[in-house]
Amino acid sequence: MIANGYFWTNIILLTIGTFIIRASFIATSAKVQISERHREIFSFIPAAILPALAVPLVFYHQGQVQALLGKERFFILILATVVAFYSKKMTFTLIFGLSSLYLLIKVFQ
Amino acid sequence: MLPRVPKNLTFGFKATLPITPGVIPFAAVMGTVCADAHLSFFQSVAMNVILYAGASQLAAVDLMTKHSPVSVVVATGLIINLRFLLYSAAFSPVVQHARTHVKLASAFFLTDQNYAVMCAHENRLRNNREMIEFYFGSVLCITVVWQSSMIAGYIFGNFAPASWSLDYAVPLSFITLMIPTLKNAKYVAVALFSSVVAILLKPIPYNLGLIVTALLAIALGVLLSRKKQ
Repeated sequence: MIANGYFWTNIILLTIGTFIIRASFIATSAKVQISERHREIFSFIPAAILPALAVPLVFYHQGQVQALLGKERFFILILATVVAFYSKKMTFTLIFGLSSLYLLIKVFQ
Repeated sequence: MLPRVPKNLTFGFKATLPITPGVIPFAAVMGTVCADAHLSFFQSVAMNVILYAGASQLAAVDLMTKHSPVSVVVATGLIINLRFLLYSAAFSPVVQHARTHVKLASAFFLTDQNYAVMCAHENRLRNNREMIEFYFGSVLCITVVWQSSMIAGYIFGNFAPASWSLDYAVPLSFITLMIPTLKNAKYVAVALFSSVVAILLKPIPYNLGLIVTALLAIALGVLLSRKKQ
């Protein structure tokens, strides 16, 4: 359970912070040119943080497929990464990932 | 008589429709995760309306279910949302001479999708006024699709049993959001580094390992992309 006060504290702080980021240049009409170098550094953010969120979530998950030491979610995530890379479709990747998980659990149980 | 709808508002709305297949599943996952975390309908909708930044919301809800400290939840969300700084800088000249409320509204609704659609159609819009109309048409499309898919996901998530493992959609979504940003081998190296370090640093309390990992991985990106003198 997520406590109500805790939820709102987080969401309101995030809302204020995110709005400040979004409004930064727009509200001040700052004619700041972001250098190519900074643009490049910013472009690394998704690659730096999204795997850090996703990978431990599956790596430390204790699953049910003994043949894969209970790490079926981890293995499927690796396959799903390949599927996402080639298909570029989120719906397809989600369907692939979830149905592979059901299939593996069904087959090995 | 109905007021005339600006032509470019409709244009912006229609131009955004082709990218909605990417928005619908992500919003549906968002709604499912909210239901899974036992957030109330009001909390879920309110968060989606006021914060309006999917990836950071997904991360925040995940970290909140693990009772991470407020500092970690907020810092993680803000790192994810730092990319809006670039969009804000890029959009700033368009609204430079607009009224304050137009500026603030356009800032509030900045998303990856609006920005991408705007860039793709820039050369078909003659002036800033047309661009602003187009932008809000795009915003309208994304908002309607995002909120309605989120609500559908929430309702679905409320009756889906735990055995359906819908929580697995969260890491899958994060990975699918990341893939298009990997422009070359350097980005792949950063993503792999981030995966390994995040696993190693997981035992650090309060989920602080997440922030340390992100900072280290960004540092690696800076290092790898340094120009040879």
